[in-house]
Amino acid sequence: MKVTLVSRSGREFIKGGLELNDSATVADLQEAIHKRTKKFYPSRQRLTLPVPSGSRERPVVLNYKKNLKDYCDGNENSLTLVFKDLGPQVSYRTLFFFEYLGPLILYPAFYYFPVYKFFGYEEKRVIHPVQTYALYYWCFHYFKRIMETFFVHRFSHATSPLSNVFRNCAYYWSFGSYIAYYVNHPLYTPVGDLQMKIGFGFGVVCQLANFYCHIILKNLRSPDGSGGYQIPRGFLFNIVTCANYTTEIYQWLGFNIATQTVAGYVFLVVATSIMTNWALAKHRRLKKLFDGKDGRPKYPRSSSAFSHCLLRDFGCLVSRRSAIACSETLVASSAGAQPLLSPRLWLPRRRSAYSIVLYC
Amino acid sequence: MASAFTVLRRLYLFIYNWIVFIGWFQVLFLALKTLKESGHEHVYNAVEKPLLLAQSAAVLEILHGLIGLVRSPVSTTLPQIGSRLYLTWGILWSFPEIRTHVLVTSLVISWAITEIIRYSFFGMKEAFGFAPSWHLWLRYSTFLVLYPTGISSEVGLIYFTLPYIKASEKYCIRMPNKWNFSFDYLNAAILALGIYVPGSPHMYRYMLGQRKRALSKSKKE
Repeated sequence: MKVTLVSRSGREFIKGGLELNDSATVADLQEAIHKRTKKFYPSRQRLTLPVPSGSRERPVVLNYKKNLKDYCDGNENSLTLVFKDLGPQVSYRTLFFFEYLGPLILYPAFYYFPVYKFFGYEEKRVIHPVQTYALYYWCFHYFKRIMETFFVHRFSHATSPLSNVFRNCAYYWSFGSYIAYYVNHPLYTPVGDLQMKIGFGFGVVCQLANFYCHIILKNLRSPDGSGGYQIPRGFLFNIVTCANYTTEIYQWLGFNIATQTVAGYVFLVVATSIMTNWALAKHRRLKKLFDGKDGRPKYPRSSSAFSHCLLRDFGCLVSRRSAIACSETLVASSAGAQPLLSPRLWLPRRRSAYSIVLYC
Repeated sequence: MASAFTVLRRLYLFIYNWIVFIGWFQVLFLALKTLKESGHEHVYNAVEKPLLLAQSAAVLEILHGLIGLVRSPVSTTLPQIGSRLYLTWGILWSFPEIRTHVLVTSLVISWAITEIIRYSFFGMKEAFGFAPSWHLWLRYSTFLVLYPTGISSEVGLIYFTLPYIKASEKYCIRMPNKWNFSFDYLNAAILALGIYVPGSPHMYRYMLGQRKRALSKSKKE
């Protein structure tokens, strides 16, 4: 079949188009484009079906595994696709590795090396226990993240734009240094012993929970990353869509309770707002995908309640867990929670979009 | 129902723009008058009250953008207003030693002319639904000169205030404290100077783009 490629401005992207087998997949097409254009390797290509002009719909992105035939509606011999260059790409693993490496190296630098000399402080080494524990906690956290990047996570998109490397590294490295500066400062004022223990204890529990969430998410997908989006179930996922973000946020809260710096709390607020946005988007995406039609399971209905709790001020939306019973999803869920209302009522289980859970 | 809101919105914006216009007109008038009569050292004292009022009123514009009363993107109004408020309150009002500097005069006059044109332009649009083409031209052309003069004055004033900032320890929070926080106003000022380096070309380019759009659109009509 003949494939015509146009750029988003309508110009023909490859003169004369490309000839492909009728049974070719999108991946084959991407290879063919790469052969012709050298510069545009497959992960840089974004192929979409043309959208009628004036339509506000989002264009359909071609899935590399599907056959080209699946995208021809009617005319089996020719297909017109819109091409977009996504720019130089890096694998997610590369991106995550470098953004996490910064904090892992910079924080200990503030602890071990006499950096405060350059800020005008004479280097007196009275180190409070909390500063040492904070070092271990912080380094464990980023070490865990790097390990998960290589051994746990299964990414749905293999790559990310190169520009994200600079943006993300700036974010992590700057905040890492900013927090490290204050926690390891010669004039650091530690909190009480009990507060420190509560903070770190809570944080460690949340980190373990976070790790377990990542394992659950990993098991939703096959090793080659295919499997796309699935409904996460079990553990905290029965309550919130992005339990991994919830545990991550609370883990940082634990760190801040123990170390008590404005820098740490600023980071907490920023990170929470970023993750909340992601959680909302993911929740919306899963709800849209799992609409109950065509044999797809229906996504457990979200709670619409924006609970009135103080965390609202962080921009985090807090959910009230509305315990309702009896749907096949509930039965299928590995947590196996019991319905709280009589099965007669047959209300679908609710699940919150929001990455924070607080029982108000 | 919807039209009642539109009328209210137009009325409010009309009043807002013309009041602030009067404020800036006062600033320009007093600045030029004092410059002629007493010299540049006294310009700040003459314009202080209307300047503080008119410049601070600009905070409302961030609100207007946020609640959708006007269409200006918050991304360009925020740095613009931020730098103005920083200069007005954080430099001029906080450090009297700098008030007699000649750059204060160039700053105040650049700001005043720009704002007079801008506020009367929006005032006209809210009142009559349009503004004459010469007005449009002024609004989108005077920045070509006034942005460089204004920005240079801002940068210069911040720079010359640095020794006073260092000596005074004003607005500084020192360690140790319960929240393990510190803030050094001198470093913040140096950082602010640094932001001007990418920030000024960005704002200038944004205005050039606006100019192209506005003037070509009027040609089409």
